Amino acid sequence: MDLTTFRKQLFTEGEKLGFTDLELYYEKQEKFSVKIFKGEIDGYESSTVNGVSVRGLYNGQMGYAYTEKLDEDSIAFLLKSIQENAPLLEGEPEELFTGEGADYQKTDYYSTALQHVTAEEKIAFLKEVEKKIYAYDPRVSQTDYAAIQDESIEKGLFNNKGLTLHDRNNFLSVIFSVVVKEGEEIKSDLYFKITKDFAALDAEKIAKEAVEKSLSQLGEQAYPNKNYPVILKNTAAASLVATFASSFSAEAVQKGESRLKGKLDEKIASKQVTLLDNPFLPEGTHSGNFDSEGVPTNELNLVENGKLVSFFHNLKTAKKDGVNSTGHGYKSSYKETIGVSPSNLYVVPTEKMYEALYGNLEEGIIITDLAGLHSGADPISGDFSLAANGFYVKNGKIIGPTTLMTVAGNFFEVLQDIEEVGADLEFSPMSSSGYIGSPSLKLKGLAVTFD
Amino acid sequence: MLDKTLVENVISAALTTGGDFSEVFVEDRFTNNMHHQGGKLEKSLAGRDFGVGIRIFKGLQSVYAYTNDYSEEGLVKAAKTAAKALQGANSKKDIILPLEKQSFETAHPIQLMPNSVEKNRKLAVLRDASEIVSNYDPAIAQAIIRLIDEEQHVLIANSEGIFVEDKRVRSRMAIAAVATDGTDMQTGFYGPGAYQGFEFIEGLDLNHYAKEAARIAVTMLHADPAPSGKFPVIIDNEFGGVIFHEACGHGLEAEAVAKNNSVFAGKIGEQVASDLVTYIDDGTIPNEWGSINIDDEGEKARKNVLIENGILKGYMIDKFNGRRMEAESTGSGRRESYKFAPTSRMTNTYIAPGESTPEEIIANTEHGIYAKYMGGGSVNPATGDYNFAVNEAYMVKNGKIDKPIRGATLVGNGAKTIQKVDMVGNNLGHGAGMCGASSGSIPVNVGQPMLRVSEITVGGREAN
Repeated sequence: MDLTTFRKQLFTEGEKLGFTDLELYYEKQEKFSVKIFKGEIDGYESSTVNGVSVRGLYNGQMGYAYTEKLDEDSIAFLLKSIQENAPLLEGEPEELFTGEGADYQKTDYYSTALQHVTAEEKIAFLKEVEKKIYAYDPRVSQTDYAAIQDESIEKGLFNNKGLTLHDRNNFLSVIFSVVVKEGEEIKSDLYFKITKDFAALDAEKIAKEAVEKSLSQLGEQAYPNKNYPVILKNTAAASLVATFASSFSAEAVQKGESRLKGKLDEKIASKQVTLLDNPFLPEGTHSGNFDSEGVPTNELNLVENGKLVSFFHNLKTAKKDGVNSTGHGYKSSYKETIGVSPSNLYVVPTEKMYEALYGNLEEGIIITDLAGLHSGADPISGDFSLAANGFYVKNGKIIGPTTLMTVAGNFFEVLQDIEEVGADLEFSPMSSSGYIGSPSLKLKGLAVTFD
Repeated sequence: MLDKTLVENVISAALTTGGDFSEVFVEDRFTNNMHHQGGKLEKSLAGRDFGVGIRIFKGLQSVYAYTNDYSEEGLVKAAKTAAKALQGANSKKDIILPLEKQSFETAHPIQLMPNSVEKNRKLAVLRDASEIVSNYDPAIAQAIIRLIDEEQHVLIANSEGIFVEDKRVRSRMAIAAVATDGTDMQTGFYGPGAYQGFEFIEGLDLNHYAKEAARIAVTMLHADPAPSGKFPVIIDNEFGGVIFHEACGHGLEAEAVAKNNSVFAGKIGEQVASDLVTYIDDGTIPNEWGSINIDDEGEKARKNVLIENGILKGYMIDKFNGRRMEAESTGSGRRESYKFAPTSRMTNTYIAPGESTPEEIIANTEHGIYAKYMGGGSVNPATGDYNFAVNEAYMVKNGKIDKPIRGATLVGNGAKTIQKVDMVGNNLGHGAGMCGASSGSIPVNVGQPMLRVSEITVGGREAN
C-alpha cells in the first residue's frame, strides 16, 4: 500500500472510531555500506526501509503505535493498539502541533551530488585507502575494520489538522580501524569521517591519519597515579558532552533527573564555554527545518560564556514551564515516542590551536579517546569513571602514549574546570540522540589511574 | 509468513551471478514497551517490525540486502541488485531446491503470549514494582519501571535446503531506582528477563528485584569514592559474568577469530586461562533470556564448551566466518533483526561453578574490592582491553566486607585477567543483558559463580 492511501484510510477509520486528533510520522531510510578486508569485499549491504508511527488522541490521552508494514492489517493493528494503550496513560497528554503561524526554513540538506556517486566509485575509493594503509608502515598488521557507508533519510509529518511537512538529509562516512604491531605490543584505534562531499575525500590523507592514530599508541608507558591537568582532545570531549547532553533537556529537569534543575541564569561552566545547538549546520547529520512534532527549528544557545541560558524544550515541557517549544521535540526513530534531544550541538570553538593548549603544561595528560561511556558514566549525577587512551606531556611536549588509563570525575565539575577551549571543532560519530561536537578542551585536573 | 515458492524464487534470483549460497530471513515482530515513572504510566507503545533480509555468499564475499517491500517483484529485484555486487568467476555450488519445511519441538514453552494479555494486568505489575521501590526509603526520588515484551516470528530459508520457522517470545522488566540526598543522585538497577511470556513477569519476586534496585541506589548514596590502583577483586555471581562476556566472550567469536583479530585466535588446545576456569556458551537452557531453538541462520542451538579447565576448546562460529576458518557453524549466528546480517554471537555464556563457597572467598581476601553488582562495559577485541562500571561495590578488609564505595571502574586486558582467576565459587547464577555488536543488539545471558581475580586495575576518584 502506498503512503498516501495508507494515510487517508488510517485517518478515515480513526475518525470513525472516535479519534479526534491523528498524526502520521513517516521515515524512509536508504543505506549502503561496503566493508573490505585485504582487498576483497567482505561485507556489502544495501537497504530500503519505511516506517510509520501514529499518534492519536483517544479518551483524552495520546497513544502511540508504529509499523513497518503498510497494509490493511497494520491500520487495524495501529488503531487497536492506541485504543488499548491510551486509556491507561496517566501522564500529561501530548498535543498535536497545528503549524498555524509557524515560519519554516526551507533548506534542503540533501546532496544530489552524493546520491550520484556509484557503488563502484565508493568501493574503488575504499580499496585505495586500504592499500595505502598497508603501504604506509611495516608495523601495520591489518585493518580490523575498513568500511564506507552512506545513508539518506526522508521524513514526513501529516496530521488531520492540516499540517504537511517534508525534510531530507544524506551523508557518507568512512571508518577505518588499523591494527599495528611492534614486538608483542598490539594497538588499534578508530578513524572516522563523515561528509556530504565525496570528491573532497583524500585517500592519502585518510590512510596517513588512520595509521598514525594507531602507531602513536605504540610504546606505552605507565606513569604515577594522581591528579593531572588534562587536555581532552576534540572527539573525546565531544563524546563526553554527548553522554551528558540529556541534562540540558527540560524533560530530565522536570522529572528531577538533571543536576541543572533550578540553575537557569546561573553560571554552570567556566566563562570560556558557550554551548550552541544549531539545526542549520550544512554538514550536520541532524539538520532539518522542523522537529518530530512539526515545530520549526531554530538556533539555540544553552550556555553563554558559562551561564545557563536555556534548556531544550518540546511542546509538552514548554507548556509545563510556560515557555515556547525550542523545537527539540525529537524522536530517534519512528519506533520511539517524542522526547527532548539536541539537533547539532557543540561547544563553540575559539582560535586557540590544539598544540597551544598543552604547550605551556609542565606535566599533563592528553586524552584522545574515552571508552565505556554507556556504562561508566551516570548521566544524572554527572559522575564518570572511564577507560581512556592518550599521551603523557612533559614541559609542553608530548613524551609518548600511556598505558590504558581510567579517568574519573564529574561532568558538572569538568564544565567549571575548563581553562581553555581550542579551535579544532570535531563531531563524535553518529548517535541517535543528536550530532554532538567539541574542540579540544584544557581542564584544570582529573584523577588518572594507569593499568 | 511468505509463500514457499516466493522464497525459492528469491533464493534462485540471488544466485544468478554465481553466488554459491543464498539465504532469506523474514521477520514479523510485535513489541510492547511500557514505561512507568513518577507513579504514572507515562508511555505505552506497541509496534510491528516487518522486513526481509537476503544474503548471498560467493567464496569469502558476502552481500546483504534488506527491505520491507515484501512483494515478489520487490524481493526478486532486491536479490538481483545484491547479486550484482558479487565479483569474479562463478563458483561451485550445491543448490537444494525445492525446499522442504523442517519442524521441531520448542525447548522453550510459553504459557501466556504477551499480546494475549490485557494491558491492565501488565500495568498492575508495574505499579507494584514502583510502589516497592518508592516505599523502600525516604531517599528514593524516582522509580522508573519498564516492561518490554515481544513475539518475534522468523522464517529462515537457504540454498542448502533449510526452510524453518520459529516464534520467539521474550519478556523483561527493567527496574531503576534513583536516590537523592538533595544534591547528590545515585541510581540502582535490576533487569530480569526470560524467553517466556507474561507468566515470567507475573511470577517475578518483586520483593527481591525491586527492593534490590532501591537498596543499591540508597547504599551508593552513602558510599565513599572508590580508590584507584591494583587490587584483588571479588566479582559476585549472575550479572557479574559480564566481565568475562566482554573480556573473553567477544574474543572467542568467529567474527574476531576468523581474521586473526583476537588474542585467542590459533590457540586451540593451549592454556589460555587459569585452570579454575571452564567457560561455556549454551543456547539450549530452557526459557533463559539468551536461549534460542535455532539461530538466525536456521542452525540448531547447542552447548559449546569454549574453555575447559583453562584450555581453549572452541569458538562460537557462524556460517560466513566458518568459511574463512574452514569450520562448521556452532549454532551461533545471531542478529538483532532483518536489518542486520547475522554473525557469531553469544547466547547464555557462563563460567562453570567451582568448589569455593562465597564465604571462603571473602574470608580469604585481606585487602581488596568486592563488586556485588556490575554495570556494563566494552572491549576492543583486537587488543582485549576492556572497561567496566561497578554499580555496587565494597572494600574488603581482613576477610570481611567493609564500607561501600562508588564510581569504581575496572580496566584491564581480558587475556591477562582470565589467567588471574584464583578462586571460583559454587553459586552459579545468570543475569540478563543486551549485547551490542556488528549484528545489532541482542538478548544474552551472562553468568558465573562468585569468583576472585588476583589483580585488576580499579579507577576511582581517589588517586593513590
